[in-house]
Amino acid sequence: MTQSRATIIFLLLLCVVCVSCEKKRTAPTVADRDVVRLTYWCASNQSEIDLATELVNKWNSSHPKIQVKLQPIPASQSSEEALLAAIAGKTTPDICANMWPGAMDDFTSSGGLVRLDQFPDFLDYLTERMPAELLESFRAPDGHYYQIPWKTNPIMIMYNKRMFRKAGIQRLPRTYSEYLIAAKAITKDLNGDGRADQWMGYQDIRPIWWQRFFDYYTHYIAASGGKTLFDSTDICFESDASVKVFRFFQEIYRQGYFPRTTFQGDNFLAEKFATIITGPWNITHVEKFKKPGFEYDIFPVPVPDDYKGPVYTYGDHKNISIFSTTKHPAEAWQFARFLITEQADLRLLEVCSQIPLRKNLTTNPLYHRYFAANPMMTKFAEQAIYTRGVDGSSVLKEIFDAISQEYEACAIYGKRMPEEAVANAAKRAQVIIEWSRPQ
Amino acid sequence: MKSMPMKKKRGDKTGYLMSLPYILYFCLFIGFPLIFSFILVFHKWNIVTPMQWVGLKNFYRLFHDVQFFVSIRNTLVFLVIHIPLQITIALLLAILLNQKIKLKGFFRALYFLPVIVSGVVITILWQQLFAYETGLLNLLLTKIGLSKIPWLIDSNWAMPSIAIMATWKNVGLYIVLFLVGLQGIPRYLYEAAEIDGARPVQQFFHITLPALNNTMVLVVILSTIGGFSLFIEPFVMTGGGPMNSTLSAMLYIYNQAFYFGHMGYAATLGFFFAFIILLVVLLQKKFVERKD
Repeated sequence: MTQSRATIIFLLLLCVVCVSCEKKRTAPTVADRDVVRLTYWCASNQSEIDLATELVNKWNSSHPKIQVKLQPIPASQSSEEALLAAIAGKTTPDICANMWPGAMDDFTSSGGLVRLDQFPDFLDYLTERMPAELLESFRAPDGHYYQIPWKTNPIMIMYNKRMFRKAGIQRLPRTYSEYLIAAKAITKDLNGDGRADQWMGYQDIRPIWWQRFFDYYTHYIAASGGKTLFDSTDICFESDASVKVFRFFQEIYRQGYFPRTTFQGDNFLAEKFATIITGPWNITHVEKFKKPGFEYDIFPVPVPDDYKGPVYTYGDHKNISIFSTTKHPAEAWQFARFLITEQADLRLLEVCSQIPLRKNLTTNPLYHRYFAANPMMTKFAEQAIYTRGVDGSSVLKEIFDAISQEYEACAIYGKRMPEEAVANAAKRAQVIIEWSRPQ
Repeated sequence: MKSMPMKKKRGDKTGYLMSLPYILYFCLFIGFPLIFSFILVFHKWNIVTPMQWVGLKNFYRLFHDVQFFVSIRNTLVFLVIHIPLQITIALLLAILLNQKIKLKGFFRALYFLPVIVSGVVITILWQQLFAYETGLLNLLLTKIGLSKIPWLIDSNWAMPSIAIMATWKNVGLYIVLFLVGLQGIPRYLYEAAEIDGARPVQQFFHITLPALNNTMVLVVILSTIGGFSLFIEPFVMTGGGPMNSTLSAMLYIYNQAFYFGHMGYAATLGFFFAFIILLVVLLQKKFVERKD
C-alpha cells in the first residue's frame, strides 16, 4: 500500500513536471508563416540597449515580413564567454553586434559563423563604408570574412584640465619625457601626511591578461607605429618598442606617479588622478557623474622621444556577425546592413558616444552638427583612423597573460630589466604557440 | 513467517524510489562530470571545437609546467599560515564563548556573521582595508608612528594577508564546531582535576585538548580542504600577483579552463590536484588522529 502510494505520488509529480515543461504549440497562422523572425543580441550596457531598441523598433515598423527580437547578451564575465557557451549549447542568436575580433578564431574554427563574403554585395557595401586596408585587417586566416567591422573605441588619455593648469603644465605631453615631467608636477602629497594623495594616473596592477590592453598594448602600438603582436603568423613584439614601453611604465611606478594599489569608485572624477587611459565611451559616464566645474579633455597616448610619425593606438573594435544556426542568413545580412547605415552610425555616436568604422567621418555633412557640438568626439574620430585591433589568434589570451606576468615583474615591481622581461615574454609566447599547434 | 520477506522486499523498493532523486542528482551533477572530466584528461578541447585526442600530452605538459607547481607551493604556504592561525583563534574564542559571560549569544552570532556574508563582498572590503596608499590599516599604522605594510603589493606579504582575511572570514564556523566539542566534555572531569589541584592551563592541556581530538581532526580536515580550494580571495584581490605569489592552484586551474579554454589540461590539473589533497588529508589524519 505504502509502495503504491509513493509510486502514484512520484508519477503525479513527474506528470506535473512534464506538463509544465511542454512547449506551447499553437498552429501558426498564414500571416505568421510568411514572417521571418530573427533574434538579435546587443551588448548589455544601457546605452547600447537603448540604441539597439531604437533601431530594432524602426526596422520592425518598416519590415513587417522580417521581424527582429532584441535581447542583450546574457550576463557573464565577458560577452565572449556568453557567446562561446551559446555556441556550445547551440543557442546562438541569428545576429550579434558585440563581437570582439580577438575571439573570432574560436568562433570560426567551430563553424559557428556565417561566411559573409558569400553575399554578393558584401565587399562593395563595406568598401564604400570604410578604407579597404582597414577592412582587410578583419579578414580571417582562411581568406574569408566572418565579421562586419562596426565600431572602434580608440584608446586615448583623458585628463583633468584644472589639475594640469594648477600643476603649471603649459603643453600637453607628447613624448615619454614630457609625460614624466608632467607626472612629476602632478603627483603630490596635498595634506602633508607623507603619503601622496594625488597621482598622474592609475592602472589596475593585477596580472590579468586583458588589463594589458590599456597600458602595455596601447603604448606598444603607439611606440611601434601601429604594429600588433603578430606579424602574419609569427610574434613580433620582442622589439625595441616593447622594451621602451616596459621602461616607461617602470619609471612611472618607480617614481610613484601611478599608485601600486587598488581603488574602488571613479577616482578620476574624484580628482585623485589627473589622467585616465580610456575610450570615447567614458564621455557619457563623465558627463553623467561629473561635479559642476569639472573640466576635462583628451590627448593621444605618449610615444618614445625619438618616435616620428602619426600616433597609433589600440582601437577596441566591436563587430557584427551572423551565426550559422540562423535559418535566414540573407535576411540577417539585410538587417546587419541596416545596423551600419549612415543614419544608424549617427545614432551610435549620439546615443553611445562610440565611433563607427566609417571613412570621412569628420567630413561627412551628416555628422557635422554632431561633431560641432561634441569637439572631444572629433578628436576620437580623428584618432580612429590610426587604430589597430588585436590579432585573431586562438592563443592570444595566453600570450597576453605571458606579457602580463613579465610586465608586472618589470614595470610594476621593477624586479626585471625591460630587455630581459620582453625576451622572457616572447620565449613563453613561442612555447604557447608550439603547444597550440595541431597534433 | 511468510509475510516477513515480502514486507522487506516492499520496503527495499520504496527505499530505492525515495533515493531516486538523489541518485539522479548524483548521476547528473557528480557522476557524469567526473567521468567526462576523466575523458577530458586525454583530450584537447576548448568547448566549441571538436575534442582532439592527445594521449598523455596533458600529463607531459603538467610535469613541465613551472607555474602550476608554483601555484601548489603558494597553496601550501597559505595552508601552513592559515590552518594553525585558524585553529588557535577559533579554539581561544570558543573557550571564551563557553564561559559564563554576558551577551554570549550576541557574540556567537557576531563571530558567525562573516561566514554567511558573500566571499566576494568580504574580499572587496578587505582589499580596501589592505590598500597600500589609502587603506585603513596602513592609515592606523602611520597614525601610531609605524611604517606602512605592503599588504597586497609585496610578494612576501600578499599570501599572509590573504590568510589573515580568510581566517577572519571562516573562524566563526570553527568556533561553532569547537563549542560543540567543548560542551560535550563532562563537567566532572574538570571538577576532579580541580580537587586534584590542577591549574587551568593544566586542565586545558590534559582535559580539553585530548577531549577535543575528534573535533580537531574534523577542523583540520575541513580547513585543509577549504584552504586547498582558495580561489575567490586571490581572484578578486590580486589576480594571482604580485609576481605569482598568490596564484593558488584553483585559480590557475580556473584560468586554464575558462580564460584560455584548455578544458583537457585543466581537467588533468584538477585530477592531479585532487590526488595531492587526498595525500595531504590522509597524512594529516594519520598524524592528528589519536588512537584511543
